[in-house]
Amino acid sequence: MPARRTRIVLRDLAKTFRDGNRAVAAVEDVSFEIFDREFVAIVGPSGCGKSTILNMLGGLVTPSAGRVEIDDVGVTGAVPAKVGYVFQKDTVLPWRTVARNIAVGLEYRGVPRPERERRVRDAIALAGLGGFEEAFPATLSGGMRQRVALMRTLVVEPEILLMDEPFGALDTHTKINLHAELLALWQARHPTVVFVTHDLSEAITLADRIVVMTRRPGRVKLVHEVKLARPRDVIKLRETDEYGHEYGRLWHVLGEELAAPA
Amino acid sequence: MTERARVLAWRLAILLVLVAAWEWLTGIKAIARTPGLYWIDPFFISRPSAIARRFAYLASGNARLTLWQMALSTIQSTLWGFLVGVSTGFAAGLVLGRHDRLARIFDPYIVAFNSLPRIALVPLITMIFGFGLLAKIVLAWTIVFFIVFFNTFQGARSVDADLIHSARFLGGSDRQIMRTVIVPSALAWTFAALTPSISFALIGVVVGEFLGGESGGGLGYLIIQSLGTLNAADMMVALISLGVIGIVMALGIKQLERRLLRWRPEYRGRA
Repeated sequence: MPARRTRIVLRDLAKTFRDGNRAVAAVEDVSFEIFDREFVAIVGPSGCGKSTILNMLGGLVTPSAGRVEIDDVGVTGAVPAKVGYVFQKDTVLPWRTVARNIAVGLEYRGVPRPERERRVRDAIALAGLGGFEEAFPATLSGGMRQRVALMRTLVVEPEILLMDEPFGALDTHTKINLHAELLALWQARHPTVVFVTHDLSEAITLADRIVVMTRRPGRVKLVHEVKLARPRDVIKLRETDEYGHEYGRLWHVLGEELAAPA
Repeated sequence: MTERARVLAWRLAILLVLVAAWEWLTGIKAIARTPGLYWIDPFFISRPSAIARRFAYLASGNARLTLWQMALSTIQSTLWGFLVGVSTGFAAGLVLGRHDRLARIFDPYIVAFNSLPRIALVPLITMIFGFGLLAKIVLAWTIVFFIVFFNTFQGARSVDADLIHSARFLGGSDRQIMRTVIVPSALAWTFAALTPSISFALIGVVVGEFLGGESGGGLGYLIIQSLGTLNAADMMVALISLGVIGIVMALGIKQLERRLLRWRPEYRGRA
């Protein structure tokens, strides 16, 4: 394994939101690093500010204190280059067909039409969306729409991929299928991924490391290395003792936060 | 019989009954063989047969100003007023909808102008633009502009912020995001304003024609002229023609809407 290069640094990060006259601390004192080509999941009870951390990484939210650096450059209010973001909410453009949705990022970047068409075709094949090229999003299931959103982001080949509970609204079956696809894509291109979720099994299935947050105001409770071999079989994995062991240990830590009085 | 045919048959039957009743009731004398006294006086509401005769006459080349010329003038003014109103209203709504400060600055002016009854402007517009086509277009514009403006404004403001964010992450510049995200999103709102807009454009034009005299031409002129000569049949010809024009224009808008908004589930498979 090559020497690991630090890609993203979060240092003493804090965010306080105003709610009327009250100041609500969402996250406090968050510091950790993410290495190049690493898959990191952030888990924690709802309201722990894990999405806020992701939004600060993406430049959508300005930190109240502390710093975010990507490749040694501070993220300041603007959307950083080389970063892709997949939202939990459906953000495909409803007035564009599947093919034109996937093409939109390439259009923005001025990729010439023949190459654009080729890359879109590959992405559609990869995501199993063949036959739906000319369909409008309103005719697709939630899982297919999220596939479109994912491929639209991946087709521009971001080096860093931020994902905010992207499969949160999907049923378990669809979700596990998408886990397999995401892992295959990650295996192929190896972007650096930061994946926010409240689903512990999802985090263990996908991630190299898991950052467990405390309840609000969110702090880093534990950074845990997932010692499961890759490539992982998303279905068989769950039957293994190693998986059970990881799950048990993390569940205990997370459970302390869920059970603690609010 | 299909449901569609059944509905159509009923519509036709109702029309026939109404026209027949109209013809029959306006033919019954109040006192037998005494001229001039009717239960329902055709002097005020005319009769279908008389209207048909006037219709044929006005549509023929014998009339000084034919029905076709007048209808064309009205349609032309309406379409121009509609086009100018929609394009300016859309542009203004888009700009103010995306710039909070501009919106705050212009808010009182827009509210004030919009609460002015538009008909009160007719004499002023006539004074400035005369009696012709231009005055009618301006009048239609003052109404259509605000309808389209308010809807587009709402539409531009309610664009999902996450759609814009995700477009930015995909590398979109401000201009590209405007074209690919904000405009299509606002268009759905603008379209909701188009059907009322075309009706209001027609209202504006007809009001303009009331005052415009013969130089403005149009069906509004025919109505006012009929009032001057107490000719109910001609008035009915004008009203029926206006009704037909209004319906055809509204149907045209619906077709356009279906084509442009075919991505919406409610139009699926019907475009």
